[in-house]
Amino acid sequence: MEYRPLIELHGDLNFSLMIQKPFRHALELLQSWQQPNGGFPYHSGEEARPDATAWAIISMSAYEFDPESCNRGRAYLASQQADDGRVSIALSHPEASWPTPLAIFAWESFPQYQEAQSRAVDYLIGFTGRHFPTPDLSIIGHDTAILGWPWIADTHSWVVPTSLALLALQVVGLSTHPRAIAGQQMLINRQLTNGGWNFGSTTVFRRELHPLPECSAIALQALAGTTPIREVKRSLDYLLPELPHLRTPISLGWALLGLGAWGLKPANTEELARASLQLQERYGPYPLPSLALLLCAVKASHGLHSLFRSLPQETPASSTRN
Amino acid sequence: MTTPPTYTEQPTLSRRQLLQACLVGGGLAVSGFSLLHWLTGPRLTAQTFIGQAKIYEADLANLIRQGFQELGITPLEIKGKRILLKPNLVEPHQSLSHINTHPLVVRGAVEAFLSLGAASVVVAEGPGHRHDTLLVLEESGLADVLYEDRIPFQDLNIMDGVVMPNLGGQTRMASLTFPRIVKEVDWVVSLAKMKTHHWAGATLSMKNFFGVMPGNYYGWPKNVLHQAGIPQSILDINATLKPHFAIVDGIIGMEGDGPIMGTPVQSGVLVMGRNLPAVDATCCRIMGINPDKIEYLRKADQWLGPIHESLIEQRGESWRTVHRPFALVPEIPAHQGLRSSQL
Repeated sequence: MEYRPLIELHGDLNFSLMIQKPFRHALELLQSWQQPNGGFPYHSGEEARPDATAWAIISMSAYEFDPESCNRGRAYLASQQADDGRVSIALSHPEASWPTPLAIFAWESFPQYQEAQSRAVDYLIGFTGRHFPTPDLSIIGHDTAILGWPWIADTHSWVVPTSLALLALQVVGLSTHPRAIAGQQMLINRQLTNGGWNFGSTTVFRRELHPLPECSAIALQALAGTTPIREVKRSLDYLLPELPHLRTPISLGWALLGLGAWGLKPANTEELARASLQLQERYGPYPLPSLALLLCAVKASHGLHSLFRSLPQETPASSTRN
Repeated sequence: MTTPPTYTEQPTLSRRQLLQACLVGGGLAVSGFSLLHWLTGPRLTAQTFIGQAKIYEADLANLIRQGFQELGITPLEIKGKRILLKPNLVEPHQSLSHINTHPLVVRGAVEAFLSLGAASVVVAEGPGHRHDTLLVLEESGLADVLYEDRIPFQDLNIMDGVVMPNLGGQTRMASLTFPRIVKEVDWVVSLAKMKTHHWAGATLSMKNFFGVMPGNYYGWPKNVLHQAGIPQSILDINATLKPHFAIVDGIIGMEGDGPIMGTPVQSGVLVMGRNLPAVDATCCRIMGINPDKIEYLRKADQWLGPIHESLIEQRGESWRTVHRPFALVPEIPAHQGLRSSQL
């Protein structure tokens, strides 16, 4: 597997000092939540979680902020990895393996974690949701047989975990792997007729469900670079007018990334992100993954991929996987 | 942390008494249900309260307090207790307020519990379809109420879990993972919405607890529970969680293709009670649904609570006076055969 740095490199060693105040403050805040075991929690003082830890690493690395803290976070993630390569939400709940793609992001470009990352990738490739022939199109409108990824083992595949898995395969250069191709087809199949994505159903009893901005944005992010724009235009047309109304970090963060991945990152991104950060005065501190996602969205010039040195490419090593 | 169900003590019959009873068969037709009680021993009974409110801007806190009084819930019982209110916010969309428990019902419940001396009231939810919980709060309108009233909120989807043995035994799940907060409060209250449901028939106070189960462990949607069986999971969750109270928002409910795509219907009621199967059965009657046809209610009957009308003491309005049949969809299998022939 080819190594690529996680971050966009900047020549200025003092880059971290150039980070604008609200974003620097956010980075310092999430850094301060790191626990002695290297992991990060959702909120200060809580137990560390793999997904929160991965997001902390991705965002801090993107800003070249405290590499030592990131390294300790990567070690924590490795300590949470099961023998089969999965990284679950808790060791006590191996079936909840949806954070595995996030760990793949966090380990990207670090040779000491190549083996851990490779095992995680192998796990993803061998892992799928519960799929079955579509029983009756008048009841369930999507193709239930196309392989994707579930949130939890032995359940159906849904939009967000499939998108995360696709992104992880793309980051390690497996965007043309058969599982990645199937995942893209699955997302296209789950796209709503009028644009956007729900959590993963299209029609139920012939009624089309409502699109959700957070699911639509992450699906757009996952399909960028591998799908012709004509196939998702209606979803871009749905999400773009939604953007000015999005204030919460998950939906805004993914919307900025998803649109950015298609070259549509708005010029006022930082303004939107600052407004979102200010909402914490109303709602209290955001959970770490939300905060980190927002920071990534500010930093990424063209979607999540641009936090990596190069766009996903096949490599000789990765192309041998099947 | 549970409120024990009420048993109606009925003397059991001796064989001689049973024979004598059979000999007076003419009387059996009149009092057949009483004889059934005699034959089967103690029966679970419960009280429910129906309060009318035509609009959300009514004094809902006062209506809920009135319900407390009718149901024998006193300040002495509530004083010092930590209350968790679990609204139904499965998939809010702006301008579609009939999907969710209305924010003013949440406000009214908070005020009512605090006025009886509750030590704390926290609102908590793990939305079933959306992992952006903050957006759920904003789109549902609940965020404004929480902020204005300084009511704390907890996102159950990302809360650390506590594993509890499955006391229901209806699914293959040996244990259930609840958010830790259920161990840190004294009362768990279902603040549900009155809706039809295209998989379960109706979603009321018992089904509302799907939203308690953290998405981190059960997914978005809570597909683990779907795979395990929806009626069975409802029973397992309720049998294990042992909730203390329910308030169902039927001021504007949802008929047709619920729980998301249905249409608004005004019933103008809040339905309340300590026993959730009894509350849900009463809601069904208001909705023109035979509760005995709802699988999870039928299975809950005389295990988690009563669902038969004769065993539910009605306080406040009679369900017959607020009866307003909810539209059912003939093409939806879970709706077929639900219509009640009562009235």
